Amino acid sequence: MPSKTPNALLHGTLDALILKTLAGGPRHGYAIAKFIEDASDETVIVEEGSLYPALYRMERRGWLEAEWGESELGRRAKLYRLTRQGRAQLEAETAAWRQFAAGVSRILLAQ
Amino acid sequence: MKRSLRSWLWRVPIDQEVDEELALHVELRTRELVERGLDPKVARDIVLSRIGDLGHLKRTCLDLGRKRDREMRLMQWLDERAGDVRFAIRQLRAAPAFTAVAALTLALGIGANSAMFALADATLLRPLPFPHADRLVMLWERNDHDRGPFALRSAVSPINLRDWAEQNRSFEVMAATALGIGGGPLLAAPDGSVQSVDRQTVTARFFDALGVTPIIGRTFLPSDAVGATVVVMGEGVWRTRFGADPSVVGREIRLNGQPFTVIGVVPDHAQLARAAGIWSLMGEQFPPDFARNFKFLQGIGRLKPGISIEAARADLSAIANALAQAHPETNKGWGVTIDPLHTAIMGRELQLTSMFLLGVVGFVLLMCCANVANLLLARASVRGRELAVRSALGAGRLRIVAQLLTESGVLAALGGALGIGIGAAILNVAPTLVPANLLPPAAKIAFDSRVLLFCGAASIVVGVLFGLVPAWQATRTSLLQALSSESRSATRGGGRFRSVLVAGEVAAAVLLLCGAGLLLRTLLILGQADTGYRANGDTVMTLDFSLPPLRQGTRYPNAQSYMSFYDSASSAIRALPGVQRIGWASGLPYGETELGYWRFAIVGDPPVAVENRPRSDFQAADAGYFETLNLPIVAGRSFTDSDTSSSARVCIVNEALARRYLAGRNPIGLRVAIEPGLTNEASPKVWEIVGVARQLRGRAGEPEDPVQVYVPLAQYPVSDTLLVVQASGVPASALVAPIRAAVGKIDSNIPVRRERTLTDLATRATAPHRFRAVMVGLFASLALMLAMVGIFGVLAYAVEQRTREFGVRIALGASTTNVLRLVLGSAARVIVVGGVVGLVAAAALSRTISTFLFGVKPLDPATYASVGLLLAVTAAIAAAAPAWRATRVDPVEAFRAE
Repeated sequence: MPSKTPNALLHGTLDALILKTLAGGPRHGYAIAKFIEDASDETVIVEEGSLYPALYRMERRGWLEAEWGESELGRRAKLYRLTRQGRAQLEAETAAWRQFAAGVSRILLAQ
Repeated sequence: MKRSLRSWLWRVPIDQEVDEELALHVELRTRELVERGLDPKVARDIVLSRIGDLGHLKRTCLDLGRKRDREMRLMQWLDERAGDVRFAIRQLRAAPAFTAVAALTLALGIGANSAMFALADATLLRPLPFPHADRLVMLWERNDHDRGPFALRSAVSPINLRDWAEQNRSFEVMAATALGIGGGPLLAAPDGSVQSVDRQTVTARFFDALGVTPIIGRTFLPSDAVGATVVVMGEGVWRTRFGADPSVVGREIRLNGQPFTVIGVVPDHAQLARAAGIWSLMGEQFPPDFARNFKFLQGIGRLKPGISIEAARADLSAIANALAQAHPETNKGWGVTIDPLHTAIMGRELQLTSMFLLGVVGFVLLMCCANVANLLLARASVRGRELAVRSALGAGRLRIVAQLLTESGVLAALGGALGIGIGAAILNVAPTLVPANLLPPAAKIAFDSRVLLFCGAASIVVGVLFGLVPAWQATRTSLLQALSSESRSATRGGGRFRSVLVAGEVAAAVLLLCGAGLLLRTLLILGQADTGYRANGDTVMTLDFSLPPLRQGTRYPNAQSYMSFYDSASSAIRALPGVQRIGWASGLPYGETELGYWRFAIVGDPPVAVENRPRSDFQAADAGYFETLNLPIVAGRSFTDSDTSSSARVCIVNEALARRYLAGRNPIGLRVAIEPGLTNEASPKVWEIVGVARQLRGRAGEPEDPVQVYVPLAQYPVSDTLLVVQASGVPASALVAPIRAAVGKIDSNIPVRRERTLTDLATRATAPHRFRAVMVGLFASLALMLAMVGIFGVLAYAVEQRTREFGVRIALGASTTNVLRLVLGSAARVIVVGGVVGLVAAAALSRTISTFLFGVKPLDPATYASVGLLLAVTAAIAAAAPAWRATRVDPVEAFRAE
């Protein structure tokens, strides 16, 4: 069990990470969290208390849609999938992140 | 679409969805830890503690999920509706002929209705354009003993009005306009033009009572009444004659040469019942001997807030009773009538006409709906298979009904949009169709937001009306029926319903035709009515003359000065080329009376109390009047030049007076005592009857012949007269300019206006009848056409459906006559049932329009018979083509088609 990391997620970044994760194909909630943690070498930890409300919120906004699929345990699992709207949102958030990161880097990493 | 599909398949309750999702998460997380070597129980505890308050998380997700579902349901519903509309538009575009016919039919109905609604709105619904218009009333005096035409609503005496105004507790303001006084004085404008302008004479608080705010300047104040040399101008005159120049306020203008100062300009809607471009002030200081029974005002009052008309009536009646006690010689038997101003101005007849016409177009709209429903039913049977397949694929009945109703809705919206265009076009030309004297100036027919709203509401109602039954009917078809036997047996019910619809249409058309017939007969009877005069109406023209009031120091100090004007004018006009005959009178046929109805008694007969004496129309005229109209004197003599102010007073009575009140006596030589009805005179005058004139008729809709007394103009010179001129060799209108010039040479301040031929007057008198007859005739023709289309449609469809049957019959040797009888027999049943129902309904409803009928009984057999005949002929025409087609069925083709 990885310890809680000090660099808590920046507000709004979780949405972008979920969208990016789902761009690779439909996943259920646990798989999304696991993917983000693994892909970030466990530097980013997704808390359940943030993940699930975020998923419901994004589904309501029409970025995600859900369907019943099968889990590793052979039980039915709620799989989330990116909608066309969600894909557009991902692009927008990626672009915004790129700008933001570049700006922050220019200041913090200035010689 | 995907989202709605998801929610169709996603049938898990929301709380179960959240529970399962979180449980799976906990389990998978636990398994992950166990794989790393932890004890399962410990691992689970770690996972749960990491999540923290699981209940709170569940509640958050539940809440968000519920919101999500609500929005999705709405989205799905909107998606479905949008899909239905798209599908409906596709369906309608696929059948352009059907769509065009249905939409145009509806557009016609909705357009006609919107135009009639605009009329009803202007006359019935829309309040007068004054603040708190519901508190405005019109006041009249009422005579309790009289049964004459003005018993209930008689002019008001200014003295009585003053007492009412001072003593009442119900009114904020009371004011009045003078009846029949004002004429059309000549107004000189800055551009040098001199034209006559309509004038209303009012009391100082007239505009206060109405609540009219001036555009510029001010309205009258009670202090203006002294001298009364100020006027208020109407917006129309101000704009057209004075170029909307604001400096007109304070300027001096001349009316008939007399100076007046303009104090303000008011909007045109202040003109109420009569046209006015200038308002002048009536002096309200009356000499002590001014007669209380000199009645010439129309009272207007503004009730205090919260006071009902009934309360005001009780209040004023008590005052009138007290006045009758105090002044029995003038006020005995006189009460008060109070009408809402709206009703008083619009007139009961106009309001009834509006309602009647709205009802008539309502029927037309129903028929339009019936025709479109008919079309839809025919279409539904064609689409039976499509609908059956859709229901087989799981679409519920309600869902299909909703889809079909959407189609009706789209059709109705299309029809409504076109109808708005048609309505706007009708209202655009309406001012030229509606006779000028039918609508008071306060009623403005306009295509405004209210009419648009009406169109919208009508479209919705219509869409449901013509869509519901066909939709329901269409979904009754069972799958098996629809697919196995084509649509034949399946539409039997629809066929029956269509026959009922067509019978209903026939009934409605017959009803409207009967109404139109009765109104048309009225118009014809009025047109052919013996007017009494023999002159050719086209060659006799009338002109209004208005001499200034008598005043010392002016050109007209006494009544004889009027007579010298008339004499010199007569000589000058007679000398003009093209003038054959002229005459003067205070009134004309067709109800143009200015002097009113006066009480009379035959001298020597047993005395009758004044208030119980009969009344007669009182006219001043010269000998030329009878000659020019060619109105025969049937007994005695006409007036002559020797009937002057100094000779014995003489009069001519008309046939109605002689017949009704002098029966069995020789009128000539009898003497009539006439009580003044309008003028400020103390005692009755006695006039000797020297002649009896032929009855004048033509006041449209008057229940009985009016009683009239003529006195010589020379013995009763009045200021406001009408000149009648018979032209010869030239059109009457060509004489206007020369007459004006000739009169101008005598006195340039005398307005000569309103040239009209007797034919114009006759047309004007029958205008309301013509308007009703034309409108109802138009709508009835439309209804008949719709019924014909209905008959044709049902019959053509039935023949189409029975092609095979006819083929068999013809193959088995049925003759053309047999087939014809078969087709026409079923058509005849529908038409006869509809026709009889329509005639019975017409007979039952005809009494409601009896006030519009004249000279024809509501149950006039000729009208009903003609309508029956007309129906038979048109029905035969409508049925001919389908019946002909039935006889031409080729048996071989009929079988091959299957």
